[in-house]
Amino acid sequence: MNDKIDLDKVYAPSEDVVVREIEGEVVIVPLVSGIGDVEDELFTLNETGRDIWKRVDGSKPLAAVVRELAEEYDAPAGLIEGDVVGLLEELLVRKMVVEKQ
Amino acid sequence: MDVKPSPHIRPAGEPLAGLMRAVLDKGKPFRFEARGTSMYPFIRDGDVVTVAPLAGQDPRPGDVAAFVQPGTSGVRVHRIVKVEASRYFLKGDNALDVDGALARDMILGLVVRLERGGRPHRVGPTFRSAAIARLSRTFWFTRLARRARRLFARQEGKG
Repeated sequence: MNDKIDLDKVYAPSEDVVVREIEGEVVIVPLVSGIGDVEDELFTLNETGRDIWKRVDGSKPLAAVVRELAEEYDAPAGLIEGDVVGLLEELLVRKMVVEKQ
Repeated sequence: MDVKPSPHIRPAGEPLAGLMRAVLDKGKPFRFEARGTSMYPFIRDGDVVTVAPLAGQDPRPGDVAAFVQPGTSGVRVHRIVKVEASRYFLKGDNALDVDGALARDMILGLVVRLERGGRPHRVGPTFRSAAIARLSRTFWFTRLARRARRLFARQEGKG
């Protein structure tokens, strides 16, 4: 599907983010630039994104995250995989998640 | 699926305090938009303020600090006007009342940078801050300053 995200790998939130739930949304403040900037650098995830984020906790490979979500949403794993990989690509580009060694 | 920048979320109150504390605890500065006029004219409504972690230093009278307001758990940015027996007394330059005696752990960090209209704005020399803090302890100074500002505004309106 792509050469960046590997379903067999384990990903975790970066040390360089602060995450809080505000008004029912997951709010992510990246600290990569060296500052916690809620004026220009505040990001949120929608409900599906939040469900993925909560599972990307460094404890299991991405394939297990896809399986769990497919069961919870009662949806084809292929469909869920597209969403999970898509989100992880974005999070990785923004350095909000890291690959665990 | 996107990770979206969120201009629609304006953290305030307790969530803002939580975010600020979490960022400062990581040793990073925190940048946000200040609301209100209690620190006018030093900080104006809509100014963007950067607060730096205390990093072991002891805040002094004259410093402008972000702190958790007792009772509401929201964030306020006011000037330290007095330190006594490890208690910090803060007050808005344009406010009539002192915020009360605060413990050090209620102070989140110090204002180190101001932006107004997208441009950096001078924070001002320390001696001036200390002088404002000294004068600000007295109720009459704030009243006088308010009256002077009203007078100047009226004069400018005429001109």
